[in-house]
Amino acid sequence: MTMDRRSVLGLGGAAAAGVMLAPGLHLIAAPNKTEADGNKRWAMLIDVNKCASDCTACTSACRTENNVPMFGDPTRDIHWIRKVELKDKSGRRPSVSLPVLCNHCEEPPCVHVCPTEASFVRKDGIVLVDKHRCIGCRYCMIACPYKARSLVYHKTKLPEGGNPDVPIRGSGVVEKCTFCVHRVDDGKLPACVEACNREGHGAMLFGDLNDPESEIAKRIKSVPTTTVRKDLGLEPHVHYQGL
Amino acid sequence: MVRYPPLRVIQVLLVALLMCAAPLAVQAEMGHNHQSGPVKLQKPKGTACVLPEEQMRRTHMDYLKHKRAVTVREGVRVRDESLKNCISCHPSKKKFCEQCHKYVGVKPDCFECHNYPD
Repeated sequence: MTMDRRSVLGLGGAAAAGVMLAPGLHLIAAPNKTEADGNKRWAMLIDVNKCASDCTACTSACRTENNVPMFGDPTRDIHWIRKVELKDKSGRRPSVSLPVLCNHCEEPPCVHVCPTEASFVRKDGIVLVDKHRCIGCRYCMIACPYKARSLVYHKTKLPEGGNPDVPIRGSGVVEKCTFCVHRVDDGKLPACVEACNREGHGAMLFGDLNDPESEIAKRIKSVPTTTVRKDLGLEPHVHYQGL
Repeated sequence: MVRYPPLRVIQVLLVALLMCAAPLAVQAEMGHNHQSGPVKLQKPKGTACVLPEEQMRRTHMDYLKHKRAVTVREGVRVRDESLKNCISCHPSKKKFCEQCHKYVGVKPDCFECHNYPD
């Protein structure tokens, strides 16, 4: 039997379609895998006017979610997010209270100075510390203009009622806010944002800057916002409104 | 031909028999008489591991190390291959992981940070 050119091409096309389809079907059958998406740019917008000065819901939610310990020594305590009070010296403007956390810069100085490449930017813009590689040299702590990083000075234990999903950190590594990366990968909001919404303030907004339909992208376009120390040119991904 | 006294022969035979039986008795005492290997692992709950058993025994450390780098740095999270999934079948660190680790004298520091029930 001989086959004409048309049927050979047709068979080839069918085989190629089968090969193309099979991995696709496999992907649909295995929904338990997630991966950081390079097309996304996670960012946060904090509305300072909505942030109550006496509220610490975000900081306590962060501690519970990420098992961040308090040693009771201000020089050694670890802060992933902290509340800062800004006062106008002339007294013309009322003082404002705002949470400060890792700004997940587009050009992070902490990553540039890290000698072991433990600090890195994930594909979706989240700046992380690979604690398996960190040697605790603290260059990054000096480089960070936001004081967002802390060294773990003491051994920690998983606290009573702690979150088993987030590992505690061994002493001698540097750590900081991760934008609750484990939650973001699960499609959830960071713990601080969720806590702020639960309290009814709604001062924190989290989302993908690259998606023009996302609320954060729309708000940043329509409302005047700023970033802390814009002059440094680090392009932080934590934006502030009303500062 | 040298002739041994019969009492002496019985004595020597008894000693030899004791020497052979002693390790068996000790082994039975330790509960190892039905065990092919030297360590006794807790029976897993599930039916099958994520990799063939032989492969897992030899390469789980490389596998975990590779996964950890890919998970932390690339954000690849595969539920079936997570440490959490290990716990679902092997719920005790002391009765499973540490049995072999103690025997071969290795001290992995995974569990200083990562949660694994005792």
